[in-house]
Amino acid sequence: MKARVVEPWLLAPVERFVRESGARLTMVMTPSGQVLAQYGFTRAVDVMSAAALGAGIAASTGEIVRMLDEPDFRVLNHQSAQHGIFLGRFDSRRGPLLGLVVYGEDTSIGLVQLFFEDFVADLEEAAPAETPRGPVLAADFERDLNESLATLFR
Amino acid sequence: MSLVNFTSREITCKIVYYGPGRSGKTTNLQYIYGRVPEDRRGRMVSLATQTDRTLFFDFLPLELGSISGFTTRFQLYTVPGQVYYNATRKLVLQGADGVVFVADSQIRQLDENIESLQNLQANLLEQGIDVRTIPLVLQYNKQDLPSDLILQVADLEEQLNFRMVPAFGASAVVGKGLFETLRAISERVLRKLSEAQPA
Repeated sequence: MKARVVEPWLLAPVERFVRESGARLTMVMTPSGQVLAQYGFTRAVDVMSAAALGAGIAASTGEIVRMLDEPDFRVLNHQSAQHGIFLGRFDSRRGPLLGLVVYGEDTSIGLVQLFFEDFVADLEEAAPAETPRGPVLAADFERDLNESLATLFR
Repeated sequence: MSLVNFTSREITCKIVYYGPGRSGKTTNLQYIYGRVPEDRRGRMVSLATQTDRTLFFDFLPLELGSISGFTTRFQLYTVPGQVYYNATRKLVLQGADGVVFVADSQIRQLDENIESLQNLQANLLEQGIDVRTIPLVLQYNKQDLPSDLILQVADLEEQLNFRMVPAFGASAVVGKGLFETLRAISERVLRKLSEAQPA
């Protein structure tokens, strides 16, 4: 399975992290839940659900930490019977980002955390400066939109 | 902010359903979830209390299809409406590309609608967003209730729609007005993407 990324510079760091850490699922996203890169998910809509929940956990934990006047949280981990869930927050040239990692019994939280630090450094090194975005959609997108919505609400 | 993948030609946009408690935000998403073909939607996630009041958010991912050659996906969120959940409302509002304000048409709920609309404006401002610039659509829900209990659309327009944004009468439990609302907010969000914008 290949990683899917929004911008090409994300691909090599994600693939290296997955290979080294043994993670089953990996996702890089913005704090508002927009996915920049993912490995291991099969359905795009499942990726979005996981990202929404991950961003929610990060946001609510961040708020509790702020109320306690503590520095921003960096990592959270939950160990289930067969899977572990790791959530890391880091700063990048593209602003604050989140990494959500699901790992199994074939690796450990120690390895995930160790390689996550390398992953963050790799991302920082690879990230190009953001460039202004031009128009994305053609001005006459309404016909496509109407057809899509009509299919959706048949 | 919407996410655009130029490599795989995909667009993902975040739309937040906002409004006072019990105005019908979750019902909007539940109805859409029930109507949309399974292969075009993901699982609906609801972080709710034991009595089914939204605690953090509801979330429904939708796959719209191809628009101008881009596979377009919408993430629909609701916020908890009750006044004391403002901290979580702010979190959900982060990065929203568009907002649907779901008002409760009942006469006795008018003050709550106004308060929630002001709260939306304040929370957007806190994130550096002017409510005049973000795509916004109003929905006057519960128009199916007896006429002596509700305000008519024209009255609600006068009370709430001072920005003259698109507005629709609706009855979320039977799905009336929901498609029109979604269409209007989709169009406004995508319109922004068809205009040049800073990074």
